[in-house]
Amino acid sequence: MLFQEILARLDRYWAERGCVIAPPQDTEVGAGTFYPTTFLRALGPEPWRVAGIAPSRRPADGRYGDNPYRFQYFYQYQVILKPSPADVQGLYLDSLYALGIDPKAHDIRFVEDNWESPTLGAWGLGWEVWMDGMEITQFTYFQQVAGTDCKPVSVELTYGLERLAMYLQGKAHAFDVEFAPGVTLGDLRRDLEIQHSRYNFEESDPDLQRLLFDKFEHEAYRLLGKRLVYPGYEFVLRCSHAFNLLDARGVLSQTERQGYVQRVRRMAEATAKAYLEYEAAKAAGGESHG
Amino acid sequence: MADLLFEVGTEELPSWYVSSGGDALVALITERLTAAELVPSEVIGYATPRRLAVWAKGLPAATPRRAEERRGPPANVAFGADGALTKAALAFAAKNGVGDAALKRRDDDKGSYLYATVEVGGEAATAVLPELLASVVRDLPAPRKMRWGDEPTPFIRPIAWLLALLGDKPLTVEVAGVKSGTVTRGHRFLLPGEFQITSAAEYAEALRDRYVLVDRAERRSATWRAVEAAAAANGLVAEHDSALLDEVTDLVESPFGILGEFASGYLELPEEVLATVMVKHQRFFPTRAPGGRLASAFVGVSNNKVADEQVVRKGYEQVLAGRLYDARFFWRSDLRKSLSQHAWGLSGIAFQKELGSMADKTARVGETVGLLLDALALPQSEADAAKQALPIFRADLATEMIFEFPELEGVMARAYALAEGLPQATADALLGGVSPKTHEDAVPATAAGAVLALADRVDKLVGFFALGKRPSGSADPFALRRDGLAVARVLAASGWMLPVTTLVEAGAAAYANGLVTVTTDTQEAVVEFIWDRVASLLVENGAPVNAVRAAILGSVTVVGAARRVELLTALLALPEMTDLMALYKRAANLSKSSGQPIDGHAFDRPTRALGADVRPALFSEAVEQPLLDALPAAQRGVHELLALTKQQLPGWDLRDPAPRSLTGLEPHVAEVVSIKAPLDAFLDGVLVLADDADVRRNRLALLSEVVRVLRQLGSLEQLAGG
Repeated sequence: MLFQEILARLDRYWAERGCVIAPPQDTEVGAGTFYPTTFLRALGPEPWRVAGIAPSRRPADGRYGDNPYRFQYFYQYQVILKPSPADVQGLYLDSLYALGIDPKAHDIRFVEDNWESPTLGAWGLGWEVWMDGMEITQFTYFQQVAGTDCKPVSVELTYGLERLAMYLQGKAHAFDVEFAPGVTLGDLRRDLEIQHSRYNFEESDPDLQRLLFDKFEHEAYRLLGKRLVYPGYEFVLRCSHAFNLLDARGVLSQTERQGYVQRVRRMAEATAKAYLEYEAAKAAGGESHG
Repeated sequence: MADLLFEVGTEELPSWYVSSGGDALVALITERLTAAELVPSEVIGYATPRRLAVWAKGLPAATPRRAEERRGPPANVAFGADGALTKAALAFAAKNGVGDAALKRRDDDKGSYLYATVEVGGEAATAVLPELLASVVRDLPAPRKMRWGDEPTPFIRPIAWLLALLGDKPLTVEVAGVKSGTVTRGHRFLLPGEFQITSAAEYAEALRDRYVLVDRAERRSATWRAVEAAAAANGLVAEHDSALLDEVTDLVESPFGILGEFASGYLELPEEVLATVMVKHQRFFPTRAPGGRLASAFVGVSNNKVADEQVVRKGYEQVLAGRLYDARFFWRSDLRKSLSQHAWGLSGIAFQKELGSMADKTARVGETVGLLLDALALPQSEADAAKQALPIFRADLATEMIFEFPELEGVMARAYALAEGLPQATADALLGGVSPKTHEDAVPATAAGAVLALADRVDKLVGFFALGKRPSGSADPFALRRDGLAVARVLAASGWMLPVTTLVEAGAAAYANGLVTVTTDTQEAVVEFIWDRVASLLVENGAPVNAVRAAILGSVTVVGAARRVELLTALLALPEMTDLMALYKRAANLSKSSGQPIDGHAFDRPTRALGADVRPALFSEAVEQPLLDALPAAQRGVHELLALTKQQLPGWDLRDPAPRSLTGLEPHVAEVVSIKAPLDAFLDGVLVLADDADVRRNRLALLSEVVRVLRQLGSLEQLAGG
């Protein structure tokens, strides 16, 4: 099954189960969880279902394309179901059927894996899903986001698309996966991976990233103060990415690192607060033109 | 009588919770049933990753009936002038649901009151159980519960279904948004779907037919059999690993062993690395050729019996190959540098911000090790090994392998040291220096390793205590208790007569001119902290609390305390010691009043000559000289007991019980007890606190000598119950 076919089938499967198939976010994010359609929508009481490919960046995970599983830029498939429905595991297993994987023919396991994002002030409990020993999906019931209890609880499913595709196509390296007829994932991403790995580890300018972090942080608070939640949050995401670049460059001491994590977390909490206030005001009919 | 079956079906539980959660359910149900007077004859627990269940046998159909008397209003309120019941009395009867006949007046020492005799109990189990079982679900203890959906009631994982049967009758239990029924579910993949259960007795069997082994012990042995069989099919022997077997048992409802292989080229990696990758990362059992080295094959345990086993095997092999590829990459890449070169990287790794980098830390550890080597007369070869290890101690922290597999710290240091041709003793010291990491982990195998381990841990304790970051209550964010336990275990296992205070002083000395100020208060706090860990280890192994206290207050070294605990426990079992203790207590109380404080941790020190302060010239009663004369024999007995204990217990890891029971104590006990008669006569026959100051002082001095002799066994007042 071609990579783009996997994507299409997951989209169709989750669309049929009431999910909005949302286009990817166009700011750098560390994981699908940072998407506003996840991070913000997990807050507050309204039901919400969304799914879709979520390209993500973790600069420190770059391996110049050598490692078959690890990349600084990768594709997740992200699903949010709020509130988490009964038998969400059954729904998930059915999605594997949709990909032509018969769970009865494999050793599929839900192995405890709890998730915590210090930068988002978020944590949840759940599993990693193993298929024949390989982790193919992360499964998390959000308990807190931005330090606030999630009521109702959302469940997040994150499929590792590269791994699934490797499995389905029997490839030993993600870059050998066929994306479209005659085009591999490597054709699309190998050069990018090598160049960005060089950038992340060798060429990025730590002084610039520190400076950018400070400026972005200032801008985030300025915008959130004006109830510009979405623009403000984009600057939070940019801060997070600047921090990730500094981290990958190995220039942060443990203390400094902790300091940056706390700063992003405070911004994330401020965003959540601004978002909930904005939504409350909107519900009261007071907020539409600022 | 009827049997209760209660099953909580869940989404997959964390494997570490399955067994303890099953036990907790049995305990809580038993407790609640007993409190409700529905006492079962037996409660059997079942636990798998998808369900916790109990079979409570022989429940009475109802709670027992009995008459209960309740006190009502005082007689003068309950009865009118005419002797008839007042309104208040009738209201009391109505409140208790009884008629006039059940009321009566009684006059006793509590006064005169109206009493009602009320029939209580007799509630049907079917009426009591639904809420009782719901409360069990709500209150089942778990370290970290979660919420799901819109449901406010938390549980360890979402509840998928509930099954409740009393005899063959369904019970309706409603909790956490789920209503109970009489159906359970089979294996998630092999025979999914619901099916009816009609009695508790058929539950386990019915599930076995549907590929679920609900009995955890049975599933554990089945898992190991599956692993052994898969290995044996290829002439291999699977490595037994109890912790892994526990985990794997609780990752499956039915175990199916699958043998897989990896490229034999990976066998260039140290066995510990191979085992870690297989065990910790993939939950595979390593295998060996019988009696030989690790084979390039493993056994994975599948939860599913698939039509084509090749599919699962290929998956297992592919994932393991990826992990091993990484591990070999790190191994080769790390070997391009020597450990001394890796050690340069320690300055870039923070230990704790106020306490500097790992390089700062290992420098301090070096100083402490120097001081400890001065204090301990170790064989030259061990001292040399410790010194050689120091410049590269913990250097593996800077390697790629440890970045990826932090649990291999120490193991990799040893492997890299051997690979670069360093002596075995140095390599062992590097591993020993970070041992034991966990309760299960062994203490350092060599003296050099033990010295490094003590210096490393005490550096952390002293540093964090100086920063005010000591554990409080259940909060121990820096895992300092683990370090304290390690110190206690290493000290006891070494058998070294190294006072705890000396160790802590050596740790504190390395902070001189350093980053934090270590006050004497801080040092004392660390010393006490270590003693508390010693006490908890000894008590965990079943030693009586008073013996532990007596031994610790009477010792300056950990091994001394551990030996005294064994000795005192043995002595406490002897009847002749009990009388002596009572006399000892009288003597100790008197000698305390002499103004000489009885201080703790003061007993391993050399003492001055026996009876040096006693002046026989001042004796005036016939019972004084005999007591003085009795001292040497008692002293000899005490010394012999201590010597014998030392000889029979050279030192052991306090995680484990003492390796043997003490023997041959009797003759020496007899010598100690020989002081009983003269002491008894003395205490009865003289006025210790005599008017004459010199006589008084002399008699107190004599008693102090008795106390001093006996207290070498431990702080005995702890045993005498005061």
